[in-house]
Amino acid sequence: MAPPWKWLLPSIIAILAVEPLGAQQTGGGSSPTPAASPLSEAELKAAVTIDSLTVPTPGEFFKAIDKTGKPNWVSQFRPPTPIGGVNRAQMALNLGTLIADGYIAVEAQDGQQVKNIGRDVLALAKKLSVSDSVLARGKSITQFAEDGSWDQLNEELEATQNEVKKALEENRDTDLITLVSIGGWIRGTQVVTGLLVESYNPETAKLLRQPALVGYLRGKLDQLPNRIRQDKLVVKMNADLKNIATLVSFPADHVPTADEVKTLNQASAKLTKEISAGE
Amino acid sequence: MKRLLLSLALVLGTTVLFGADTDDQTKAHSEVLDLAGAFQNDGFKLRDGTWYAKASQGHAQTLEVNLYSGNAYWFSVAAAEGSPGLTVSVFDDHGNPVEVQTYQKDNKAAAGFSPDASGLYYVEVSSSAQAATTFCLIYSYK
Repeated sequence: MAPPWKWLLPSIIAILAVEPLGAQQTGGGSSPTPAASPLSEAELKAAVTIDSLTVPTPGEFFKAIDKTGKPNWVSQFRPPTPIGGVNRAQMALNLGTLIADGYIAVEAQDGQQVKNIGRDVLALAKKLSVSDSVLARGKSITQFAEDGSWDQLNEELEATQNEVKKALEENRDTDLITLVSIGGWIRGTQVVTGLLVESYNPETAKLLRQPALVGYLRGKLDQLPNRIRQDKLVVKMNADLKNIATLVSFPADHVPTADEVKTLNQASAKLTKEISAGE
Repeated sequence: MKRLLLSLALVLGTTVLFGADTDDQTKAHSEVLDLAGAFQNDGFKLRDGTWYAKASQGHAQTLEVNLYSGNAYWFSVAAAEGSPGLTVSVFDDHGNPVEVQTYQKDNKAAAGFSPDASGLYYVEVSSSAQAATTFCLIYSYK
């Protein structure tokens, strides 16, 4: 495996090229900086979380997968999901899974699939009354898909997701923001484990370790107002996430086995199905 | 209750979820995008989120992020022009420092690394300035 610094060195050169002379790297040259003091318990507890940075995007997850081989992304497409929705909570969760579908289509470099998903995202956003702000994004997605601009599409999808969350916040629907993130993460996990079930690879399996992330998402669920927390689907999801939390909480040196991956795939697939059906 | 309100006010005062609200934030955002542009030229993708907060000497700010092994990351931070002394450090899920590649010039700083393990990391922004400095942090990955 290549040393990690190998990937960072060109960036240093890039900064030095962009920044005027006199730019200084602490630590001297391209060598790593001396370690800081460990954070105290109080400092760890005081750390802030921001949905748009603390929760990784499916695209970020998939980028890591790309480095471990040549995944068959097309195999993870799913049939068009109903965008009706029994209530706003289910629609928000479904929107998250759809945005994750967009990333899968981008990875598969399937322009038509990207456009189809973009259309569904827009339709669902309309139902959540956030369509105006994402309309322009929808147009960009279509344009980028037609041009095959895959890198820009990745960024556009994240921007769309943030636009939706921003609009939800402006509409005083902040509670639904969490559900969009959860939907995206669940679908992303289903896809990654699906790829692993198809073709097991220990390097990819290690990427499934995300104990704090599930804890964070469950913590956000606990903060939801009663009316949403007691929604039938949200109750079911909270219980299933508890189970999923144990499956992704393993020591850093553990590599999940093929059977463990299969169990996680079944759990996340079940949840994705429940979200799209609104059960 | 009083303590709860105070904590809430502190959180609202130091963290903005979406968009820049003040001139300092807008300037810091523009400055940090300049810096992150260099990483983008090298194939790094920029996350769309931003974190605005204030740091001063002895009052660092810390953000939780969840990262994937195999990816390379750069955390970039900037303050409005004329506010030097920012530093970015990264810690693992136990709060132990991880080795990072750092960059620091004037009102900008960055830390880059490739995690060995997927999971939770803490990104700390500290300042050597006595007065509270508004900063904007963004991150990019590839």
